[in-house]
Amino acid sequence: MDYSKPVDAELFPEGCERCSLTKFTAWMTVLGLIFLWGLYAAVRILGFGLGETGMDDYFGFGLWITFDLAVIALGAGAFFTGALRYILNIDALKNIVNLAAVIGFLCYTGAMLILVLDIGQPIRCWFGYWYPNVHSMLTEVIFCITCYCIVLILEFVPLILENRQLMKSRFVHALAHNFHVYMPIFAGIGAFLSTFHQGSLGGMYGVLFGRPYLFREGFFIWPWTFFLFVLSAVASGPMFTVLVCTLMEKMTGRRLVSWEIKQLMGKVGGTMLIVYTVFKCLDSWYWAASLLASEGLTFDQMFHGWIYGKWLFWAEHLMLIVPMVCLLIKPLREKPAVFYLMLLLTCTSIVVNRYVLTVQGLAQPVMPFDSWYSYAPNWAEWASCFLVFAYAAMVLSLAYRYLPMFPQEEELNRQ
Amino acid sequence: MDRRGFLKFAAGGTVGLVASPIIWNTLYDAVYWTQNWGWIPRLKKGASEYLPTVSKLCPSGTGFLVRTVAGTPVRTLSDRNNPVSHGSMTALAAAEAELRVSPARLKKPLRRSPDGAYVAISWAEAEKLLKEHMQAAGSSVAAFSGDPTTSINEVLSAMLYQRGSADFYLMPDEEQPAAAAWTAMGGQGRLGYDIEHSDCVLAVGAPILESWGVVAANRSVFNRTHPAGGTPAQTFVYASPVQNNTAAGADLWLPIKPGTEMALLLGIAHLLIKAGKSGFAAGLPNFAGFAAAYTPEKVTAITGVPADRLEAAVKALTGAKKPLVIAGSALGSGGAAGPVMAAIAVNMLLGSVGREGGLVDMPFPSPVVNGAAEYRHLLTRSLVRYTQSVAAGKTSAPKMLIVYAANPVYALPSDAGVRETLKKAGFSVAVASFMSETCEACDLVLPAALGMEAFDDVLTPYGSGLTTYALARPVAKPFAEARSAGELFIALAQEVGVDLGVKDMPELLYKRAYALGAPFRAMLESGTVHTAVEKGPVSPLFYNWEAIKAAASAKAADAPLQIAPVVVLGMGTAQTAIPPFATKVVTEYQLAGKLSVAQMNAATAARLKVKDGDLLKITAANKVETTVRAAVFEGVMTDTVSLTAGLGHTAFDQFSKGKGANVVTLTSISREPGTNLPVWGNADVNAARA
Amino acid sequence: MSSEVKEFKIKWGMVIDLDKCTGCGACMVACQAENNVAPAVDGSNKLRSLNWLKVFRLSNHKPFPDHETVYLPRPCMQCGKPSCVAVCPVIATDKREEGGIVSQIPPRCIGCRYCMASCPYHARYFNWYDPKWPGDLAQALSPDVSTRMRGVVEKCSFCHHRFMSAQAKARANGQDPMNLPDGAYVTACTEACPNGAITFGDLNNPAHKVHELIKSPYAFRLLERLGTDPQVYYLSKREWVRREGDNYLENEKTGEAVIK
Repeated sequence: MDYSKPVDAELFPEGCERCSLTKFTAWMTVLGLIFLWGLYAAVRILGFGLGETGMDDYFGFGLWITFDLAVIALGAGAFFTGALRYILNIDALKNIVNLAAVIGFLCYTGAMLILVLDIGQPIRCWFGYWYPNVHSMLTEVIFCITCYCIVLILEFVPLILENRQLMKSRFVHALAHNFHVYMPIFAGIGAFLSTFHQGSLGGMYGVLFGRPYLFREGFFIWPWTFFLFVLSAVASGPMFTVLVCTLMEKMTGRRLVSWEIKQLMGKVGGTMLIVYTVFKCLDSWYWAASLLASEGLTFDQMFHGWIYGKWLFWAEHLMLIVPMVCLLIKPLREKPAVFYLMLLLTCTSIVVNRYVLTVQGLAQPVMPFDSWYSYAPNWAEWASCFLVFAYAAMVLSLAYRYLPMFPQEEELNRQ
Repeated sequence: MDRRGFLKFAAGGTVGLVASPIIWNTLYDAVYWTQNWGWIPRLKKGASEYLPTVSKLCPSGTGFLVRTVAGTPVRTLSDRNNPVSHGSMTALAAAEAELRVSPARLKKPLRRSPDGAYVAISWAEAEKLLKEHMQAAGSSVAAFSGDPTTSINEVLSAMLYQRGSADFYLMPDEEQPAAAAWTAMGGQGRLGYDIEHSDCVLAVGAPILESWGVVAANRSVFNRTHPAGGTPAQTFVYASPVQNNTAAGADLWLPIKPGTEMALLLGIAHLLIKAGKSGFAAGLPNFAGFAAAYTPEKVTAITGVPADRLEAAVKALTGAKKPLVIAGSALGSGGAAGPVMAAIAVNMLLGSVGREGGLVDMPFPSPVVNGAAEYRHLLTRSLVRYTQSVAAGKTSAPKMLIVYAANPVYALPSDAGVRETLKKAGFSVAVASFMSETCEACDLVLPAALGMEAFDDVLTPYGSGLTTYALARPVAKPFAEARSAGELFIALAQEVGVDLGVKDMPELLYKRAYALGAPFRAMLESGTVHTAVEKGPVSPLFYNWEAIKAAASAKAADAPLQIAPVVVLGMGTAQTAIPPFATKVVTEYQLAGKLSVAQMNAATAARLKVKDGDLLKITAANKVETTVRAAVFEGVMTDTVSLTAGLGHTAFDQFSKGKGANVVTLTSISREPGTNLPVWGNADVNAARA
Repeated sequence: MSSEVKEFKIKWGMVIDLDKCTGCGACMVACQAENNVAPAVDGSNKLRSLNWLKVFRLSNHKPFPDHETVYLPRPCMQCGKPSCVAVCPVIATDKREEGGIVSQIPPRCIGCRYCMASCPYHARYFNWYDPKWPGDLAQALSPDVSTRMRGVVEKCSFCHHRFMSAQAKARANGQDPMNLPDGAYVTACTEACPNGAITFGDLNNPAHKVHELIKSPYAFRLLERLGTDPQVYYLSKREWVRREGDNYLENEKTGEAVIK
């Protein structure tokens, strides 16, 4: 045994260096404490009821739904990268697709976890299958998200099986091989399911004809928000994967994915961003100029005070237009700082979008005699979101330490 | 393992799990569990009955149907056959079935131990204590009653009178100043109002659609004269500092500075005289001369009522065939006699006395219990004068004090001396249904049955134009160990050797019904309510301009800010506090968490430099300070702050305790010039942003 | 995009004359007691207290002394095209029974609150905690409406159990349960209103008073322009009140706006 290496070095991916087990344990302890804080909130919520949160009868949706929608959008890197890699056979993406799949898995399982807290009767969650209302966008979301979550598990499992020690077992080796053979099928199913539920999540808002802030006309049964959500997810998903990758590189001090691959991902996301930005701006313009007026409302009436002010609306749009332009200009996008910043702005815009649709859409009083009320998430809502962050960071840390996530790592770090 | 093996493994596992009952049974059970958690109460099944009776908690004695299921009241419903309310019911009466079992309900007799804690005792012990103290007290005994319409008052007063004490008092209410006013103007009977047949009602201060008078009857009249979507048959003009619930029903709202009701009425009198409305009676020239000083300009300056609205109000009165003017206080107690005198004078000018749709001169009921107090006599006796005198040491404190169905500690201003009187009294007994602030200040607390649990009655509440008599019938068993207060007092009287002439409540009620010519048997068996138009001797009314002048000389408010209390009957009375099922009726502009909300118009808010939602510290003339939350509402007179009454309880249960401020504590008692009546309700205050 | 307006032979509806309502709250108390809605310790927090029927205070937005108020009781509108029914993922709420009452089945509800988000009237409320009847209050539960559990949405049902019992009574008396006489079935709030501000009946039945009332030039519905087609009508002779019933652009007049 080589005593200069960490005690668990035998488990590391082939040819990769990792920090000492002590350092790793300390890091995991920090995450564990955050996790426990979140767990405490979760136990209170499940034990006493949703009254433990800051939500109320005017804000039945709040931080959690925003969080879910945001992570599901940002986790879309998994299906989109997977589809490009396995179906369109863009081979270069194999260098990041593992990470994309893990992020997708974490985003979706995290969202599911939050949803379990968020619905008032988690024990009845399977009613969505047993008594489905086919007219509800949410039914579609329930179907697709749970199915897709299974797909993501199936995509994550082979990576686990590829652990250096596990692969020594004949059974595991065979199993992993079989999974790989079926991966294009999973990717295909994933792409189909994802496109639909990303869309349906958007459709959920667009169909609310009682809520002028949210309601949109559309095509056939799908309101425009359906398509906007798909586009925004495929734009931001790959970008988020690159950002997470870069964050991991900064934290570990090791190069994990080559700049070319990141640029490729940026190109994929950026192309989608152009399409999204165009349609998003068209949608906003039509909504503000025409749709609202048909309901007797004005654009100004959709905003109130500071927290529900217009600045969020403009910020959301600017954070699409600026990245779109910067990513189109080659000298700019080749500067890492600009490149990462633009990816970050795009992701932020998507999060803001999910927030305003969720919270501001509900805050806007539709009855003329009703008032604007404000919503602020309380500690329990934040804690449960941090529970998911901690969970994701822990799984990602373990995956990074023990699983061969980055095929380029050994080569990029060769001295 | 090859590909086939892998597929077999996966498929086999899945099929096996699905075929086993594990998943399906668990899911099925899960549905069942989530609907049947043990801590969610189950519904009780049983035969439903709908029994007519009356509310003794609602001050207007609303008639209602009590729905019982297997003998337990679960609902109070409006009774369309009731000849007084015609199916109208107040929000308070609607909450009574739940009030009956509210956490504040007294369950057992409680005795205060030396350390101040209350210890449950048996009824036998309680009765023994009562008897001992009653006997030991001799003639040094006093009693307060908070229920002006019950015949139990006769039992209490007879017991005291026969033992040589005259200290039986009714809680201050609207009728006492009104009776003083009616007497001053020459009235000899009881003042009544025929609201039903009037085609134009002007209410000054009196919130007739929320808490004043027989409110259920008033609202039934409002209902019948205002057909849905149709043309109203009655015009309603309402003067008050706040656009309260009653104002919402008014065709014309006269915003008025608190405490200036008299000036408004005198101004109206002046304009009516000018318009040729001058119903003749002695003293008219002098009155007209006095009222002439109240020119519209002066009235507008004093009252703040815009000139055009004053004119519109007068026009409504002169244009009506049967106008009626009513004056009263916002709080329902502590009002002055002056405005009522002025209102009577205006009615006299309009010829609205003794005719349909006008003021009614009704006969007073005579007592049916041996040696009981005459009701008309009780109206002249002031509880506040007594307690102030005891507190000041001018009158010796009673050795025994009985407080029945009243919560004077909460309901009266702190300078009324109620706490001091209770402290000085040798032995204080509260007979009540709920654990009130007064109960918490008494040595012995006895749980009284509600109207729906025992025999009781409602005899013509003030504000009626008819003689009405209704029985409260025991349609349910008393809650826990509560007992009929009437039976308790009758038994006590018998124990101490007082001859009442009645042996129990049914006999007392029978005698009362008989005296009124009411059909007792039908009332007893089917809850029939007796009503009669009774004409007393015609009173020789005159314009007592001197009394009016004296009352009008009351010192005007001089503080920069006035408090205008608003009573919301749904929020209960001093005896009930906020019923559990009425907390949701409390609005965000009345209470914000633990703080009362002070409504004021934008001009007032600007002067006080507060914005909507700011904290405001109010300092009353009596040095009482309270912090409230400011809310801008344009339906409030300038330089006036509206606070909701019925908050700030320190007793009762979680539904009432510790919520907001008691507006009564901000007010102080003064004497009305001329009548010397103790008056309160409006308050001079200062306020600043906290 | 969403379900179309549903029509029934019987259409229970309410006409609330706002010029008669004085906001006393008797309807709210009666509603809670009738439907076993648990009491709230702090009911002044309107964002967390369950009200099947809530009384709003409206303002004409004029400064003192020209200010006017009106109280507006808001039950569930039992929309002809309910925004809530289409969105419920588990069919816990539906509109399919004669009478046109939008049902809500708490044991079916999973508590996702999507229906609450969809309803512009805020007619839907959530059980943030298990309902509590402190002390002996549970003794006064009425036998007609099951208590709910935490984590589910509930709303006004037009006292549906009263419809059921009125029909049962009609059948027992040999009358047509599909043609109840006016007043045979009314909601608890209708019955409790001391001012008679609420009229309840079958909007389609010419023998019912509401049938005439909804034709009044003063009748309007809340947020008609959104296309929800409510079965609750309001009456007011005041133009500003009617204008508060829906959103209008400055140049639009009430009643003239295009209804979707």
